[in-house]
Amino acid sequence: MKKMIGFIVLLLAFLGVAFYFGEREISQSRQKTDTPTVGVLQLMSHPALDAIYDGIKDGLKDAGYEVGQDVKIDFQNAQGDQSNLKSMSEKFVNEKAAVTVGIATPAAQALANATMDIPIVLGAITDPVGAKLVANNRRPGGNITGVSDQAPLGAQLDLMQEILPKMKNLGIIYTSSDDSAATQAKMMATLAQKAGLTVKKYSVNSTNDITQVAAQMVQNVDAVFVPTDNTIASSMETLVAATNAQNIPVFPTVDTMVKQGGVATSGINQFKLGQETGKMVAAILQGKSEPATTPIHFEKTGQLIINKQQADKLGLKIPAPVMQKAQEKGKIIK
Amino acid sequence: MTIGVSAIGQGLLFGILGIALFLTFRILDFPDMTVEGTFPFGAAVAVSAIANGINPLVATILATLAGMVAGLSTGLLTTKGKIPVLLAGILVMTGLFSINLRVMGRANLSLLNQPNLFKQGFLPQLPPAFASVIVGGLVVIIVVIMLTLFLNTRLGQGFIAAGDNPNMARSLGINPDRQKILGLVISNGLVGLAGGLIAQNNGFADVNMGIGVIVIGLAAIIIGEVSFGNLTLSQRLIAVVLGSIIYRFILLIVLALGFNPDDLKLISAIILALVIMVPTLEDKFRLKQTLTKGVRKDD
Repeated sequence: MKKMIGFIVLLLAFLGVAFYFGEREISQSRQKTDTPTVGVLQLMSHPALDAIYDGIKDGLKDAGYEVGQDVKIDFQNAQGDQSNLKSMSEKFVNEKAAVTVGIATPAAQALANATMDIPIVLGAITDPVGAKLVANNRRPGGNITGVSDQAPLGAQLDLMQEILPKMKNLGIIYTSSDDSAATQAKMMATLAQKAGLTVKKYSVNSTNDITQVAAQMVQNVDAVFVPTDNTIASSMETLVAATNAQNIPVFPTVDTMVKQGGVATSGINQFKLGQETGKMVAAILQGKSEPATTPIHFEKTGQLIINKQQADKLGLKIPAPVMQKAQEKGKIIK
Repeated sequence: MTIGVSAIGQGLLFGILGIALFLTFRILDFPDMTVEGTFPFGAAVAVSAIANGINPLVATILATLAGMVAGLSTGLLTTKGKIPVLLAGILVMTGLFSINLRVMGRANLSLLNQPNLFKQGFLPQLPPAFASVIVGGLVVIIVVIMLTLFLNTRLGQGFIAAGDNPNMARSLGINPDRQKILGLVISNGLVGLAGGLIAQNNGFADVNMGIGVIVIGLAAIIIGEVSFGNLTLSQRLIAVVLGSIIYRFILLIVLALGFNPDDLKLISAIILALVIMVPTLEDKFRLKQTLTKGVRKDD
């Protein structure tokens, strides 16, 4: 009991001191140090998210910021445990980071909740307005701007229709607990319906559901669209096994998923998104731009990638102009 | 300094979760897996309610009630349905995942620029992170007082007896099943409360935010027990909250030391294992002391 009272007294004393010095600490926080610190907060380790982080370092280097020399990076990874995000964001605020970067939506939200004045750059967040991070994509207004990893869905739909002119029923499979995947699935559904297609959405909760849901789906659709979805990305082989059985092509949004058995994509390159993020960070560090007036960056045209081997297996004929375009600007997997 | 204050604030809020787990894990002596579903459930209910314009205080109470309903489901499944309590908890937790998605309408719902309990009255004028200390402290005090009062009633004593020895309790005319349901309802109500508060403090609710919360709660219980030794029941409730604060400080130190973030989980697991082993190690150490003393006496 004595120990406990002692500890409580210690805590209260600490709080008292912190309260007394609290105001002073804030007034000092705007001082500039020689090497600025960039705080990068990542939700978890994952190939796509890691690629964004690598891209950020590359983008900073391109803009003349050698990591370790001209800029210090404090990299924190919550490894999926969301209770860590808050402490980590506050660590950045505490060490007076010049700019912070949030990779994945919950990370960005934790940062946004921790500071109203340190600039925050979104490292590939699908729907910044939906996540209430910014009021407006064109003119964010607050201390937040950044890059969206929203796949160029219009270009993707065009590509699917070019390869499959007779397509009527489009299946969309996504993970319901993945906010960005669910958002993209919804957007694609709206676009496809406008284009006169019948859309059937299928959601899974975990990798364990995929076999069953996919088996159900392939009965009812002519083609399958997969958004940027971490869960399905990690079990692409399972999905392809089910779709191949019915000769149904899969159109993912991520390059790695085409390699794993998708037919084609007009997709996004995570590394490139990271580079774009890094450049934005550099521009803010140099004082060249303000988050409030910097529009959110969206990739308009994706990189065209075609898996020829998979198309042949399904007996699909890729139109010559598409092949040519992929040869010139994109990639063909043979 | 702010970061230390924030650790205390978060420790207090997660302390409520620790107290909740203490009721089921220590007093009733069973693991309740419902918690990993109830925690985001409370968060989802509170954040959705606030997003729909409901007063944050009312939203927090709704989160508590939602947690109680979840606890009741587990309680009924295990007592009336005769499903083992571990499995019943897992079933309810799994079901809650879909319910949470329905409640929020999406996987992640943000509260930015909306009112919450930590931004009311004079709280925003305080230095950063003090709002969470004050709200957390107040809620912890209320919870501890109410639980202490409850545990000293006839019903509360029966509750403790049912956990200690169900057979003896039954012979004294106490219905252990009813006590089990009661424990699950109170405990999950508190978990819902913690989820609702922490979501407001973090600024968002996410369906995946329940992952690992059992570990956080158990860590608080064990660190509290190891650090403060023999205590009365209500003092142990406070010890759990203090344990939760210490756990936050340990994480803070790990972060500050600049370990590779990939190793974070391993490091916290090792630290926890060491803390849990402290009594065992101490015993061994004392054993040696007494042995050498014994030898000397013989001389």
